[in-house]
Amino acid sequence: MRRVMIKGLLAHKLRLALTALSVVLGVGFVAGTFVLTDTLSSTFDNLFAQVNGNTDAQIQSTQTLKPQDPSEPHRGPVPDSILATVEKVPGVALAGGYLSGQADIIGKDGKILSGQAPNFGASASSLGTLSPFKIKEGRSPKGPTEMAMDAGTAKREHFALGDKVRVEASQTGTYTLVGIVSFGTQDDLAGAKFALWDVPTAQQVLHRPGEFDTISVKAAKGVSRPELVQRLQTVLPAGLQAITSDAAAAQQADQVKKSLSFLSTFLLAFAGVALFVGAFIIYNTFTIIVAQRLRELALLRALGASRRQVTRSVLAEGVVVGFFASLVGVGFGVVVAIGLKAIFSAVGADLPSTAMVIKPRTVIVPVVVGVLITTLSSWGPARKASKVPPVAAIRGAESIPEGRSLRRRLVSGGLVLALGIAALVGGLAGGGIALVGFGALIFYGGVAMLSPLVAAPLARLIGAPAARLGLPGRLGRLNAMRNPRRTSSTAAALMIGLGLVSFVTILAASLKTSFAATLNRSVKADYIIQGANGGEGKFSREVALQLAQKQELSAVSAMRFNGEFKLDGVTKRDDAVDPYTFSDVMDVDVRHGKVSDFVPGTLLVADTVAKDKHWQVGQQVTLAFPRTGDQSMKIVAIYHDAALFQNGYIITLDDYGANAADDLDSLVLAKRANGVSDAAARAAVAPVLAQYPSVEMQDQAQFKDQVAGQIDKALVFVVILLMLAVFIALIGIVNTLALSIFERTRELGLLRAVGMGRRQLRRMIRWESVIITILGAVLGLAVGAFFGWAAVSSMGSIGVDRLSFPVGRLILFVVVAGLAGVVAAIFPARRAAKLDVLQAIAHE
Amino acid sequence: MTLDVTGTGVSYAARAVKVSKIYGEGDAAVRALDSVTVGFPSGRFTAIMGPSGSGKSTLMHCLAGLDAVTSGNVFLGTTDLSSLDDKALTQLRRDQVGFIFQAYNLLPTLTAAENITLPLDLAGRKPDQGWLDRVIDTVGLRSRLTHRPTELSGGQQQRVAVARALATRPRIVFADEPTGNLDSRAGAEVLGFLRQSVDDLGQTIVMVTHDPTAAGYADAAVFLGDGHIVDEMEAPTAERVLDRLKTLEA
Repeated sequence: MRRVMIKGLLAHKLRLALTALSVVLGVGFVAGTFVLTDTLSSTFDNLFAQVNGNTDAQIQSTQTLKPQDPSEPHRGPVPDSILATVEKVPGVALAGGYLSGQADIIGKDGKILSGQAPNFGASASSLGTLSPFKIKEGRSPKGPTEMAMDAGTAKREHFALGDKVRVEASQTGTYTLVGIVSFGTQDDLAGAKFALWDVPTAQQVLHRPGEFDTISVKAAKGVSRPELVQRLQTVLPAGLQAITSDAAAAQQADQVKKSLSFLSTFLLAFAGVALFVGAFIIYNTFTIIVAQRLRELALLRALGASRRQVTRSVLAEGVVVGFFASLVGVGFGVVVAIGLKAIFSAVGADLPSTAMVIKPRTVIVPVVVGVLITTLSSWGPARKASKVPPVAAIRGAESIPEGRSLRRRLVSGGLVLALGIAALVGGLAGGGIALVGFGALIFYGGVAMLSPLVAAPLARLIGAPAARLGLPGRLGRLNAMRNPRRTSSTAAALMIGLGLVSFVTILAASLKTSFAATLNRSVKADYIIQGANGGEGKFSREVALQLAQKQELSAVSAMRFNGEFKLDGVTKRDDAVDPYTFSDVMDVDVRHGKVSDFVPGTLLVADTVAKDKHWQVGQQVTLAFPRTGDQSMKIVAIYHDAALFQNGYIITLDDYGANAADDLDSLVLAKRANGVSDAAARAAVAPVLAQYPSVEMQDQAQFKDQVAGQIDKALVFVVILLMLAVFIALIGIVNTLALSIFERTRELGLLRAVGMGRRQLRRMIRWESVIITILGAVLGLAVGAFFGWAAVSSMGSIGVDRLSFPVGRLILFVVVAGLAGVVAAIFPARRAAKLDVLQAIAHE
Repeated sequence: MTLDVTGTGVSYAARAVKVSKIYGEGDAAVRALDSVTVGFPSGRFTAIMGPSGSGKSTLMHCLAGLDAVTSGNVFLGTTDLSSLDDKALTQLRRDQVGFIFQAYNLLPTLTAAENITLPLDLAGRKPDQGWLDRVIDTVGLRSRLTHRPTELSGGQQQRVAVARALATRPRIVFADEPTGNLDSRAGAEVLGFLRQSVDDLGQTIVMVTHDPTAAGYADAAVFLGDGHIVDEMEAPTAERVLDRLKTLEA
């Protein structure tokens, strides 16, 4: 039997290659994700080892907050007064404080430096000894007028020693560049831009009076790290702790690894989609192969092969294909990871070069997954093969008796679909993302099971225009309809990818529409002032103060977002507004209480939060803040419209400022005074904006466009990742068509004999392909619409309340799918057109 | 008939002039046809007979433009096939040639009626409804037109194939063992229709067969052996053909 299988494999190299390719891509995606995230992780390990390489211990606050954004400080501050005490501890050779915050360097063109990497301001204490920064050119900055800069930024922006550099931070100023620093041996740290000052200046500029983030300590000779830590701990007050530099490095690296693991999960989800599509294709291919080898299998049975042997021979083919394809996939994945890293470097996010990290897991997991998927997918066809009666060899039966009646299929498919919907809805209602994913998977399975029932009528409908265009179109339509199971499972592979693509498209459109509706409803301001480059960074409070002076503006109100506090030990986020002006620019639809009672020491909560916690207006609640500690605050109002405040807790700017690690605003809303024209208002604010290049002003329409643009960017990224699944599905179509053509060789020969031209033949196959792809697209749209509806209806609490179908785009998907069908048909059609008529007629 | 291919008295629907067909090269070369010259007069039913391997199918394929000759010329009417490219050959087959194969060779997705008009549809030509009705009635398929091939018996399927071959009013119909897959009753029926189409509709038919009974329906029989024309027979009967074949195979 083994020889039969191997011969079978070798006899159909092309079919083998196409089937394998669908596995290779999915497995490659998995392996590539592992390689990429492992390599990045190891890079950051090295980086943090370098950062802490000069130190032996670190002193930090014990107060932790879970940061959702790794660039935000996530621990409480260390008072700088403790430094003197630390220095006196026996065994301490050197100690220095370090603090950092947002600081935007203004380029020579007067614009804020662009690029995705964050902007940092930091203290330059102990450069070259304790600090990870080393002076490369010049010297350490001293006093309130001097600064240093990282070498990468200096090179990119052509700054040289002696230049005057403007930096926007909590306090904005112009400094003389006296030093250029490198980061260990690296000039550049993933494109991050650093401005460095001496400690007092940094505290001033970054609005951190009397504070450090951490204190780094170097041990005297002969004092071990644990010993140093122990000694330090004895002098530290409650709320501070000393840890070894190794532990500090591990802590920092751990932080990054958490965001990397998010990236890894995110990418693996797409890899999973690709593998899921691949499974369909394998199933489809093996089903067709078994159908075509009917006589051969029957002959084997007639010659004495047992059912089990037949099953095994088909299954073994799946395993062999899966194994080799997975190996190739792993290799492909490594290549992809190398490519991705090269792209990172090319866009300026240069990371310290580390060798590719390929762990055993990187090879084992994808191979096991690949083999498992091919084996499982070929299981059904293999079982079907074993049901071929030996007499079929003699009788030459046309097909295997179909397994399941349509009625039973309707029932079982319906049940699976219902299960999928239940899991999906349960997941969206709070069961978690894993349940949502599982539900989507089952849902797809159910749709795939039911789709043969609708494949023929749908293909008839879709093919109606083709049939009008002549005989090739009519025959193509009939071919698409003749085997509904085959057509629908081929189309189903495409449906998966396109379903997700149309889902994210519908979701993005709904987000945009909902956001625009929110703005229309709740934002009464004419202008929105935010950080440059689409609100990337925060900006000085001076902007709002200066704008408030303008008579052309009747109301100016600043806001800050995403502060952190703990409620019953759980980290939450809050937003802050100016309680006295914010009612002039926003309407959050207060349902209980009065905004006029809103003063420092009080807060507003969203009705969803109030309901969840059973809170009432007038109730005191205790919030734990990083700097001011436990605060008992009074709820003065409950609002309904989340609008710009997605966190559910709104406090005053004063309370926020007392706890923030900087003094920067996130957003300023401004309203034009009565009778002032748009042009006049813009002219009035222009000087202020010119002074602060880190901000930009937009009217509502521009703001909506910009947010829509950001959503579109994310959409494009996700769609590109999903394109892999679509591409694999197209491979499946090529495969199915090629196999179908092989099966219909005689028929094609006949058509050619009675006068069908090559061009007509190609057109016939093209139409079949187009009908299949459009069928897949239509099913995908239906699934995507359902997913979109389900997602949007579960997102009401975060302000997404409008389901919107971007009809133009969705139609475009169908058209593009049809065009892809044309492309997928190129190779099979060419092959069919090349058939030798005589041989085709004689073909068994 | 064989020699008088350039003759003026007879109008030939198809002619082969010194046609040779060699498969393979060098030592492995097989001479399937060796300088065969033969003509098929219009309006007649001719059977090509011979043992298997005699080259009868090859001859038919070359005459029908399905296979290219190694040397010599094939004429369909006055058209020299060797001068045509694939596109022109396809068109010629569509417009001037009808085919009937051993296995019924119907498109399973099309109804009987659609199968019959397939060559016309491929050409984008409007069928001549009067002619079509006559053909359909001749083969007695009127009540089966909306059925698909799987719903028809073997004999009925072959009658559809006959109708399809006649539908375009081709210059010539080639039938390759048209009764090979049929029982004797259905076979007789199909042969009767072929005979009738020659007598009533004036069709030219060339039939390859090794069945002496089938040859008995023809006006003339041509015998092939080892790539040569070895004999001809006017108004063949099953007995005479059988005797002739016995001597050929001996």
